[in-house]
Amino acid sequence: MKSLTILFRHAPHSTAHGREGLDLALLSASFEQTVRLIFVDEGVLHLIDNQDSELIGTKDYIATLKALPLYDIEEVYACQQSCMDLSLDPAALRFNAQPLLAKEISQQLSVANEVLVF
Amino acid sequence: MVPSGAILFLGNHMSKIIIVVNGSVYGATASRRALKYTQAALTEGHEITRVFFYQDGVYNTSALVSPASDEFDLVQEWQQLAQAHDVELVNCVSAALRRGVLSAQDAQENQKEQYNLAKGFQMGGLGELVTGIEASERMVSF
Repeated sequence: MKSLTILFRHAPHSTAHGREGLDLALLSASFEQTVRLIFVDEGVLHLIDNQDSELIGTKDYIATLKALPLYDIEEVYACQQSCMDLSLDPAALRFNAQPLLAKEISQQLSVANEVLVF
Repeated sequence: MVPSGAILFLGNHMSKIIIVVNGSVYGATASRRALKYTQAALTEGHEITRVFFYQDGVYNTSALVSPASDEFDLVQEWQQLAQAHDVELVNCVSAALRRGVLSAQDAQENQKEQYNLAKGFQMGGLGELVTGIEASERMVSF
């Protein structure tokens, strides 16, 4: 069993990165890998409440994030600095995302067996 | 991204490596770098457990990609590499279907008149990426 850390760097909806990263996260977890998610840069925008992407003609894949606990993905992190840069309150993020400092993110990346960036 | 000197980092130890290709066949350099890295790793005696195509990487597997005659033909290069070194080239089928790359079977199942998966490539699922990562010492993504 390996530990995979999946990093989300892109804003949701405008590209397929987030969706395809999330697909991989759930699939890996169903293969009983240890999966951690880290949202950084504009990727933290996945964690804003009350998004309705169907209004802009894309599938609401973010709703799938609600299923993370069912897949035993319990470690969800967000870059605190990225939240601040985008005027998001790190305490108000969805899916129990925990804010991390840059050096804590580096630490997470160094302990993972593999890191996949989306 | 691959750290520069990744091959040096592997040193003399023969590694088992899985390659993940996320970049399109044209318009970006990622897949060409993936090909070159894979060729170099094989030349150095490393084992490539699988080349997995995900995201826009699936465009590398379309038989309809037709570069001008004086241009680099990546699809053909992947095919030759697979044949020469017996390396598996596996697509994520969901990513491929969404982007219009279909095998004969996919075409039949989706009531399409045509298919275009190039010879030498096969359809698989993300599960093959995960088991590939599990079976490899190292994953390198492009």
